[in-house]
Amino acid sequence: MTSAIVTTGLTKDYGSGHGLFDLDLEIAEGEVFGFLGPNGAGKTTTIRLLMAVVHATAGTATIFGLDCDRDAVAVKREVGYLPGELPEFGGMRGSEVVAYLGGMRGGVDAARVKELAERFELDLERRFREYSRGNKQKLGLVLAFMHRPRLLVLDEPTGGLDPLNQQTFHHLVGEVRASGATVFLSSHVLSEVEETCSRVGIIRDGRLVSDMTMDKVHELRYHEVVIEFEGDVPEAAVRAAAGVEDVKVDGAKLTCTVHGGFNALLAAISGHTVVDLVSREPSLESIFLSYYST
Amino acid sequence: MSARLLLRLHRIGLIAMTYVGIFYILVNSAAYPLIAGKTRAAQEAFGRSVTVLGAQFDWLLPAPLRPDTAAGYLQWRGYGLLAIVFAAWALMSACGAVRRDEDRGLVETWLSSGISRLRLLVTRSLFFAAVSAEIVALTGVAAWLGCLVAGMPVDVADVVGESIALWGLTLACFGLGLVVSQLAAEFRTAASAGGALLVLMFLLDSIGRSSVHPSAVTEISVFHLFNQSNAVAPGGTFELGATLLLFVVGAVATVVASVAFVRRDIGTGLIRPRHRETREVHDMSSNPLLRIPVVRGLWIRRVGAFAWTAGMAVTAASVVLLVNITATFFASTPTLSPYLRGLPGDVHTVLLALIWLSFAQALVAIYAITCVSRWSNEDSSGVLEMQLAEPYSRWGVLRERAAEATVTLAVMSLVAVAVILALAPDEGIPLDVGKLLGATALLIPFGLTFAAVGAFLAGWRPRVAVVVLSAVTVISYFVFELGPLFKWPAWAEDLSVFQLYGTPLITPVFVGGLIAMLAIVFVGFGSAGIVLARRDVAA
Repeated sequence: MTSAIVTTGLTKDYGSGHGLFDLDLEIAEGEVFGFLGPNGAGKTTTIRLLMAVVHATAGTATIFGLDCDRDAVAVKREVGYLPGELPEFGGMRGSEVVAYLGGMRGGVDAARVKELAERFELDLERRFREYSRGNKQKLGLVLAFMHRPRLLVLDEPTGGLDPLNQQTFHHLVGEVRASGATVFLSSHVLSEVEETCSRVGIIRDGRLVSDMTMDKVHELRYHEVVIEFEGDVPEAAVRAAAGVEDVKVDGAKLTCTVHGGFNALLAAISGHTVVDLVSREPSLESIFLSYYST
Repeated sequence: MSARLLLRLHRIGLIAMTYVGIFYILVNSAAYPLIAGKTRAAQEAFGRSVTVLGAQFDWLLPAPLRPDTAAGYLQWRGYGLLAIVFAAWALMSACGAVRRDEDRGLVETWLSSGISRLRLLVTRSLFFAAVSAEIVALTGVAAWLGCLVAGMPVDVADVVGESIALWGLTLACFGLGLVVSQLAAEFRTAASAGGALLVLMFLLDSIGRSSVHPSAVTEISVFHLFNQSNAVAPGGTFELGATLLLFVVGAVATVVASVAFVRRDIGTGLIRPRHRETREVHDMSSNPLLRIPVVRGLWIRRVGAFAWTAGMAVTAASVVLLVNITATFFASTPTLSPYLRGLPGDVHTVLLALIWLSFAQALVAIYAITCVSRWSNEDSSGVLEMQLAEPYSRWGVLRERAAEATVTLAVMSLVAVAVILALAPDEGIPLDVGKLLGATALLIPFGLTFAAVGAFLAGWRPRVAVVVLSAVTVISYFVFELGPLFKWPAWAEDLSVFQLYGTPLITPVFVGGLIAMLAIVFVGFGSAGIVLARRDVAA
């Protein structure tokens, strides 16, 4: 499988520790890659480097083997881009914005534009200044998807979209993935990443701290367990059980986290009377936050 | 809402009007002996000529009073025209304070912070009153100093009186602008309606002044109220009642605007066009012009390009119609008549060349500044980023910008020259068509010279590009205009970009200047491409 995006030691140093540092990343063609991180972590900087809007301080980035900076024009023939925020197009109608930017690109399929606008229920007759935030985002998505690009670079793609249109977006990503396109999207909404991505990278303070498949992410999952006993609490046995962590006892109530299977925990509490047992699976968001806090 | 923020919001108007006010008033007072002569006899003769000229311009300004003095001339030409400029500025400031800040979401943010609508509008009005008072006061100081430099001191009390009248007019126009802005939902509509209102008031005053039996209707004009005072001119008066009425107009208008602001929805105007039921459209525009390089930019900015072209055409027509009056004025003014002797060619042709090309150069330079302003704004607003997201190089964007500016400059210049060619024969002005077309063609590289310098600045430091280019243009223009008047050395005049244009209607084309302009254009746009290619967008 060929690589859609390859970055090697990609660095953009804004000074005072801000920017992006030594990003080594390889995204295969056909992957949907979620780039996660809090505000200011370096997600948008990475995207702007890929789009050659800003120049790297060090390192290189290639898209389909083409240098993002040197071969910027050729790269953009293959890329559909959604910025974090669309600029103001003032009194231009949505249809004119599409025709204007589509005219700069050339060869945009009018039927595809119509299909996208219909799916997002976007009225292209209205002027840009009349659009709500959500409609502006829809217009941005139409612009990104309209030429059936091989790679989509999307910065916070569902920001401002209502749940129905978020679903439409997720379906669209699924379709382009099925057709072989690659998607690189930044987000801090884990449910979105969970639903659309096959792989995630987690960026913190300008550095990639983790790069894993969604299967691996799911492996990181754990259960929060609360057990209430009648009589003695087998604290020592539970602490000794494999995969059990964060054991706390409060009277007859024991709380712990369980990674992997439950057999070890069940063996540790066997022989004790259990009044109540609650097991809860934390969201990916909690996993993400706990990952960040370490 | 802090004073610092308000100062920031009004900073451009504040700086521009302070410079314009001070400079314009100083030039029209301190330079009086240079224009009118230094002897009493020369000044009296000059005064007689101005009186005759003033009678022909009474549709524009009230008749001059004692133009044989620096103060009288300052009252007529200085305060007379400055009032129009300040009125327009006040109107635009009001429209901006209401509509632009609402478009930016600032009004919503302020209101959500707990400030009441009434307090918001009153605060903005009081701040503008303070800012305009400061500018008018500085202008007054300039008037007093200018007359002192001219050797014809003016009484401080007279300057104070005229300044108060000017302040009243400014506040009245600001108040009217606030009212108009409550009616329309868009800045452009509000500014156009406000502009129409000001023109109407100006015309009412003009009609009232020039008609034999003026109607009482003409007296409702704020310009009429302002023109009741002519305190700076010797023997003039300060009309307290009319001036007070100006302040009353301003206050009442602010109250009306406040009531309207409280009643209407944010983001809308009181007058809402009936919403037409239209079906949703999901197709991209089929307009082929949006797909053609350069043409797409011209189409998107067609309203602005049309306005510039119309402005050039109107200016050209006005200049042609004024040539004969100006020639008569020069001929009848002893201090100015020597300038007509020894001129190469017909007097009317020479005057047309000097006046028209001076205006045309200024307009073309200002057009270039507006282009640079847009280019800088495209960088910071994200439009450039969206353009570069398409398979389009930075050099390509720059080439398209340059081509669009070239085409617009060509259209503006050609329409203006067509107007001149159409009107000049009726005015008896002999024209050399070849030279006129040549001079017109030279306006294109001249305008591109400023655009190229601006393109470099916008590519290098977009945030300061407009300020630096404006400063270069203003300094260049005044060095060019004032150098001969104050007999500055030739090397100083040669520093002006305007000097490169030469005087192609009356002398052969200044080849050296043309080569220099073309060199600046190529080097400017070339270096702009290099710095733009190397720089981070929106950084």
